[in-house]
Amino acid sequence: MKFSWRIWLLVIVLSLSLLVLAPNFEKGVLIKSVEQNSTASESGLTAGEIITSINGEKVETIEDYTRLVSSILPSENPVKLLIGTKTQETLLFTNSTPEITVSNLPKTKIKTGLDLSGGARALVDAEEKELTTSELNDLIAVTSERLNVYGLKDVQIKPVSDLSGKNYMLVEIAGSTPKELESLIGQQGKFEAKIGNETVFEGGNRDITYVARTGQESGIYSCTPYQDGEVCNFRFAISLSEEAAQKHAKITSELGTDPENPQYLDKKLDLYLDDRLVDSLYIGKDLKGSSTTQISISGSGTGATREEAYKTAEADMKQLQTVLISGSLPFKLKIEKLDTISPVLGKEFTKNMIIIALTVFLIISVVLFIKYRRIKLTLAVILTMFSEAFITLAIAALIRWNLDAPSIAGIIAGIGTGVNDQIVIIDEAVSNEFQSIKQRIKNALFIIIGAFFTIIAAMLPLFWAGAGMLKGFALTTIIGVSVGILITRPAFSDIVKNIIKE
Amino acid sequence: MEQESETKSKDWYDRYYKTLLIIPLLILIFCLAYLGFFYSQHNDFILKDSSLAGGTAITLNGEINSENIESSLKTKFSDITIRKLTDIRTGKTLATIIETSADSEEVKSELEDLLGYSLTEENSSIEFTGSSLSQSFYKQLILALIISFILMSCVVFILFRTFIPSIAVIFAAFSDIVMPLAVVDYLGIKLSAAGISAFLMLIGYSVDTDILLTTRALKNRESTLNKRIFRAFKTGILMTGTALLAVLPAFFVVSGIPDSFRQIFFILSIGLFADIINTWLTNAGIIKWYCDKKGIK
Repeated sequence: MKFSWRIWLLVIVLSLSLLVLAPNFEKGVLIKSVEQNSTASESGLTAGEIITSINGEKVETIEDYTRLVSSILPSENPVKLLIGTKTQETLLFTNSTPEITVSNLPKTKIKTGLDLSGGARALVDAEEKELTTSELNDLIAVTSERLNVYGLKDVQIKPVSDLSGKNYMLVEIAGSTPKELESLIGQQGKFEAKIGNETVFEGGNRDITYVARTGQESGIYSCTPYQDGEVCNFRFAISLSEEAAQKHAKITSELGTDPENPQYLDKKLDLYLDDRLVDSLYIGKDLKGSSTTQISISGSGTGATREEAYKTAEADMKQLQTVLISGSLPFKLKIEKLDTISPVLGKEFTKNMIIIALTVFLIISVVLFIKYRRIKLTLAVILTMFSEAFITLAIAALIRWNLDAPSIAGIIAGIGTGVNDQIVIIDEAVSNEFQSIKQRIKNALFIIIGAFFTIIAAMLPLFWAGAGMLKGFALTTIIGVSVGILITRPAFSDIVKNIIKE
Repeated sequence: MEQESETKSKDWYDRYYKTLLIIPLLILIFCLAYLGFFYSQHNDFILKDSSLAGGTAITLNGEINSENIESSLKTKFSDITIRKLTDIRTGKTLATIIETSADSEEVKSELEDLLGYSLTEENSSIEFTGSSLSQSFYKQLILALIISFILMSCVVFILFRTFIPSIAVIFAAFSDIVMPLAVVDYLGIKLSAAGISAFLMLIGYSVDTDILLTTRALKNRESTLNKRIFRAFKTGILMTGTALLAVLPAFFVVSGIPDSFRQIFFILSIGLFADIINTWLTNAGIIKWYCDKKGIK
């Protein structure tokens, strides 16, 4: 067997792929995100670090981490928490659980897509208008801030456009999906506080300088039975800018006192979110004409049980706080597509697709063995199929492509064209014509290159069509056939030459 | 012996190749007529699933009593369809898929009332596509299909640089799309976006046997034309046959895999069947005719 440079190239690329795809046997827990301005971030913990110990005890899995942390936190008084990562030891002095999200170390670098690993995906654009690129960027900035303020982690927000040039915002969330996702990403977020018809202040940092979200100034203060269920009330403090406070003074100075409730003024402060009345607040009569900067915002949530009402109120409060901080968008939004995929079925699906892929390998091998009756040729084909799948997976992992079901179909289809090409090569090579083996392989290459370009031509438009939702299929197919034509096919031809010559 | 039978088959082919051309042509006309009929019935060339027509698909994990639910939901949402996914090995129900053109909130609350529990990401998946987006998706996929076809045609023309052989390949590719489309419509399959992308794949996938045939017929002239076509046929049938055998497992495993995955393989396998006819009857016939006219032996 002569090892030509083509065969060496295959060997090298395969080894590199092995490096990329090598399973991870490391033990520990990965920090996925660290909350901004928290004890954890101030102490120097950063996302991407791997926690290996807590207070001297070994951490190997996420269960270890949860067990060790929850055994001491949260506590009444601050305690010491010594977090050991691979590179450093961090000392936290805290009474609450560290503000970080963690996950088990991924076993491989292969990432599966939404339809297999679960999560949510939303495609958002503006209602009744096309988004310009700069509007889209604003939308993405506001949405990122909202999701961040809301406390959602593992979110990817990116601009996408389709074949006709229409712009969308694509939001993808791995793992669990919050119930409020729809209102967080689909809301214009226009918050207005009005007295009568006059706007006192709006959401966003021009009018609102501070929104209390923790401590005494923010929370649910009462729950009472209401109709068939319960209602819980929340309130939180905000600070107004000087300008907004002046406006408040001017408008309230013109109000009289309420004849029925003499301790209040005769008009209320109405809070509107996207033109929907959220709450109406009485204004104390001593606030008349005062340029107050401290205002308490309130609202309520209902539910069948107290627990449910409490949760709704909490979520509503968080949402209101979020839009008060992030402000309003200058256009109404429309959720064009919203998929929330349960992670439960994905595992079955993945398993079944792997079984199918292996069956495909097996069937092809058997058929080719029956046809050629030469174990070496059959092995060469199997090796090539395997290499193509392996290298394609490695490239997908390297470019951090999330493999969804169409992507996996693309890999199998890519291997399918690969097998076709190998059959052409073998058939040319074993033919008894009066041509040198070199010439015969050359003939085969013309057919193969032709087929290669037709596949590329056929799959290319899928990169853009439908806002790139089927990009995966095109991408893995193109990677697969390109790996085939550049790396495995040349090596395979040389291997076949060697086998025939023997 | 073998030599003799080959000579016989050659003579036979010389005599009948033009007659053989009629078979695929009839099938194609029949498929086109069916598609025309289908269009007049449904106002479109395909049936679209909720991702292309707009609407909601809810997947309920695990086993549920779907009969009750189906009849109750039918009264509210007339276009509702319910399917089950079962495990390949155990035959157990993995999930139930409910599809309708209605808005996700409506279906969700109705379904929650019927089931008596709320739908969370633990027990279900919900996919909603707005009608305007789905329309633009559909239009774009059709546009992609057309672009893809044109690009493929360009590649074929560049490869062969002669008109009739190139047209023959392109015509075969066209038939490769039309025939599976008619089958899919006949079976009443609702196509998803992934399903349409399978037709794009088919454009690329089916052309390689045609390229093989045309190359062998026109480029290397070391034996007789019939021998070359027959040799191309032997290679090509092995290629398509292997590919067919490879997509068959996915063809038979009708559930337990994502719909997108299954549709891609289903369409590919019908397309490969069609490709055998279109390459070895249509394309081979036209090439032989062309070579006979041009005096290529």
